[in-house]
Amino acid sequence: MIIETDNLTKMYGKKAGCREINLSVGEGQIFGFLGPNGAGKSTLVKMLVGLLFPTSGTARILGKPLGDLEIRRKVGFLPENFRYQDWLTGEELLTFHASLYKMSRAEKARRVPEVLEQVGLADKGRQKVGSYSKGMQQRVGLACALLPDPELVFLDEPTSALDPLGRREVRQIMVELRDRGKTVFLNSHLLSEIEMICDRVAIINKGRIITEGALAELLAGAVEVEMQVEGLSAQLLDELSALYGSYQVEGGLVRLSLKNNEDIPALAEAVVRNGGKLFSLNARQNSLEDLFIDLVKVGDEECLQ
Amino acid sequence: MFTIAALTFKEMVRRRILLVTIVLAAAFLALYGMGVHYGYKDMGSSHYAGPMQALIAPMFLSLGLYFGSFIIAFLAVMAAVGSVSGEIENGVIYAVVPRPLRRLDIILGKFIGYGLMLSVFSSLFYVAVLLIVHYNTGLNAPVRAGAIVLFCLQPVILLAVTMFGTTFLSTLANGIGCFMLYAVGVVGGMLEQIGHLAHSQVLVNIGIVSSLVMPADAVYRKIVYALLSAPGISFSSMMMGPFGSASEPSVWMLVYTGLYIVFFLSMSIRIFSRRDI
Repeated sequence: MIIETDNLTKMYGKKAGCREINLSVGEGQIFGFLGPNGAGKSTLVKMLVGLLFPTSGTARILGKPLGDLEIRRKVGFLPENFRYQDWLTGEELLTFHASLYKMSRAEKARRVPEVLEQVGLADKGRQKVGSYSKGMQQRVGLACALLPDPELVFLDEPTSALDPLGRREVRQIMVELRDRGKTVFLNSHLLSEIEMICDRVAIINKGRIITEGALAELLAGAVEVEMQVEGLSAQLLDELSALYGSYQVEGGLVRLSLKNNEDIPALAEAVVRNGGKLFSLNARQNSLEDLFIDLVKVGDEECLQ
Repeated sequence: MFTIAALTFKEMVRRRILLVTIVLAAAFLALYGMGVHYGYKDMGSSHYAGPMQALIAPMFLSLGLYFGSFIIAFLAVMAAVGSVSGEIENGVIYAVVPRPLRRLDIILGKFIGYGLMLSVFSSLFYVAVLLIVHYNTGLNAPVRAGAIVLFCLQPVILLAVTMFGTTFLSTLANGIGCFMLYAVGVVGGMLEQIGHLAHSQVLVNIGIVSSLVMPADAVYRKIVYALLSAPGISFSSMMMGPFGSASEPSVWMLVYTGLYIVFFLSMSIRIFSRRDI
């Protein structure tokens, strides 16, 4: 496992930042970490990169305990509240970080232009970081994180300051990293982004992980269906009720929930068999947003009880 | 550690902290030089030219070193006051701490970077004051390596305290605290000299306690005593009043100062190494 945590907990006085986090992140995947504001996402990442010290529990990164300096040479990190020495040029900033990574002169000479190119700042390397736009600063931060060609990279809201084009470029970078066997730990508010590229996700709320698993498995299941039917007979509605439980009828529109996609042909057949004229049938898979909102809402309700 | 030290030094240059300090120090030295030149020259034409000139020359020297210490102390505090707290407040440190280096290296690197810059600046300033006094008054205060090292030691003491404060206080609180502490040393040192003149043991004791709280002023007194008691200088440093040194701080005071620096530096490493960021 690339990341393994065992009951990792961070308390701020009596308030929990993260509580009993048990996570396992395997190699060569993009792991999405989601949660509402203040849920403890950044607290976990900060513990894993060595900015915060856990109150209890343990964690291993690339097989070594937290704080191992040799392992840190293989880990990249882009912080959420990124800010860099604005009096350095982009190249100087990267050279400084390359020195912190203890890279040789030859490695620096090779990697600095490479990562600048990778994040789309090849022609901006000699400009002062202070003259960069917010999006460019985020890009140069990403370049710092990618500098040692890390085995594991933590990206905390990596696209928050980017325009749609920039977001797409960063997504491509993450996918390329995964394709090369690297692991990306992505903290993001952008559910669509996570849905697009993540292999596995974990959702955290009020400091606790409330679900974790492969994205495809989490999203598999209930399918919402909307049909436009003419000739809704009592017989047809009885059959729908018997087969699928509750349903809603509004004029000629029927809405109901199926267990999965496999039930759709049987539904269409039932309508036709009972004399209904089926004009359209739209099926919608639950989105990550639906899942996220449902889980966070349930978590909040449980906390209130 | 040396990567951080080099970056710290570069920051002082790039952010024009060093340039502004050099320009203002040059302005100070120009004003001081003019004061020494015309003060000494005009006094030569007065009725008591001989004895007055003999008195005023070392007085100019101690004044130059005293206010020089002041400027350098301000530079030490202002440069390092936000070296950790400021970087936490603005977020720069978030990208540095997770890199493969110990937190100890960050503190030591910054200390070395600032210390080096302050030492170079202090040495140049010290030599400039001595040369100005020598060329204008003929006073032969020798340029001793030991005295230069002591002159460089003063800002390093403040630097250690400032580095300590910046690991757990906000930048503003640390700045206020360090200047207040420096003021305690300065006022205590003056009271001690006045105590010697007025034969007041209470004032002398206040001075001793304050030099334990902040030993920078005691180091200044040692430099002045060493310079003005050099062979060929025939006057008592008592005559310098609050800027002089009626008695030489012992070598144990220097040992104490060394331990003081090590203590505050160790504490800053200890606090920063355990601090959540």
